[in-house]
Amino acid sequence: MKPVGIEAVNAYCGETCIDVPALFAARDLDDARMDNLMMARKSVALHCEDAVSFAVNAAQPIVDSLTEDQLAGVELLIVGTESGIDFGKSLATYVHHHLGLPRSCRLFEIKQACYSGTAAMQMAAAVVAASPREGTRALVISSDVARPVPHTYVEPSQGAGAVAVLIGDAPVVAEFDHGANGFHSYEVMDTCRPTPEAEAGDVDLSLLTYIDCLQGAFGDYADKVDGADLLDTFDLLAMHTPFPGMVKGAHRTVLRRTKRLDPASIDADFDRRLAPSVRYPGQVGNIYAGTVFLALASALDNAPIDRETRVGIFSYGSGCSSEFYSAVVSPASQRAVRAMGIQEALDARYRLPVEEYDELLSATAELAFGTRDHTMDLDRFPHILRERFASARPRLVLEAVRDYHREYTWLEAGR
Amino acid sequence: MTDEEIFTVVRRNLMEVVPELEDADIRLEHSMRELGANSIDRMDVVIASQEDLGITVPSSQLASVDDIASLLEVFGRHV
Repeated sequence: MKPVGIEAVNAYCGETCIDVPALFAARDLDDARMDNLMMARKSVALHCEDAVSFAVNAAQPIVDSLTEDQLAGVELLIVGTESGIDFGKSLATYVHHHLGLPRSCRLFEIKQACYSGTAAMQMAAAVVAASPREGTRALVISSDVARPVPHTYVEPSQGAGAVAVLIGDAPVVAEFDHGANGFHSYEVMDTCRPTPEAEAGDVDLSLLTYIDCLQGAFGDYADKVDGADLLDTFDLLAMHTPFPGMVKGAHRTVLRRTKRLDPASIDADFDRRLAPSVRYPGQVGNIYAGTVFLALASALDNAPIDRETRVGIFSYGSGCSSEFYSAVVSPASQRAVRAMGIQEALDARYRLPVEEYDELLSATAELAFGTRDHTMDLDRFPHILRERFASARPRLVLEAVRDYHREYTWLEAGR
Repeated sequence: MTDEEIFTVVRRNLMEVVPELEDADIRLEHSMRELGANSIDRMDVVIASQEDLGITVPSSQLASVDDIASLLEVFGRHV
């Protein structure tokens, strides 16, 4: 069996962010509930950014790093999202075009709430594993842009971000443990997006379902992998992170329940195995499909990795479907992730004052789902769009919608 | 098991996760949110109480629970 896993990973978490304490203060939310989130900032999409532009901006550096032959070996593109822009035409078509991927490539979009990225990645891994050709590659991008719902307790965690992973048979970033996948899925109405703008559901039910699935999916994993133990088998863990406090709560509950650990040992275990994975999410917020990969990239950047290390990965998507799987990473994985400069990009985001954040939300709302024609005002927010894009690498933004067709443009120095 | 015994279990778990609470503060008509329990705390109370009572309640049955009385009612159906 050939090795299969992640050859490259990159995240794009936008150009702007807002400080969570400032948002709590402006909305007059109860500060006591802020500690529960364990979040410092969250990413905010510009009015001219959507799930397509986020996906392309995440994947472009990976595509740029491929040789012509390697690019020709990309025979699958899957975009996981719950921020769709059309019922029929998948946003993968736009992503494929703007990334310049070969036409000898399957492409489609996939949905299962926040599990869609993992669903896409496992399909991609299976395609690579089954291919009789060496160098077969698949590009998987998880991309979501929240429409924040002002004056609610979910608003501070509703982020925006995309994570691109290149799946292949030279898995420098993470090599999957073959066949080590546990599943747990059933119908439940915990959270959903019934309209393009609304997020509905029951936070308490969602937390209980998440815990239920963590135990259920790990149980299925342990049935398939001899001797697997949640405490001893994995040096690191990376889990779907709607907000870091939820991961901390789930970890505490599951270890208390299954291992009878005392609170101090649980805290120590969290600090050692999980804290590195919530560093990026605590600065970005919930990015839905890509959140679990953002947590994985964060673990790879921030944990001390001086030898081959096994990571346990838990993906959960409301509704619900979940999976626990594992991969082996090494110091080379850490070097590969750090070379992408994800933390540096997070640090470089423009910090929106609350008034400007509200202005941005209004500007974003001007383009409603299903609009036939629309021209984006790219001169709005010039201090962000013009000044910042002039110094950064080129970024794709939405320029117009003409007869339902979305037209994008690269913003770069001199434009 | 009586309703009072179930209430005792829930009250004990609630006081464990929200140490500022006194026994007498917790009444049937309260929601856990009103008593200062955040979403993670509420999950802790619900799960720990099920363990102490030796029951497993499908999460979906807990979806519409908003006060302690209704929580006890759901638990009561499973003991």
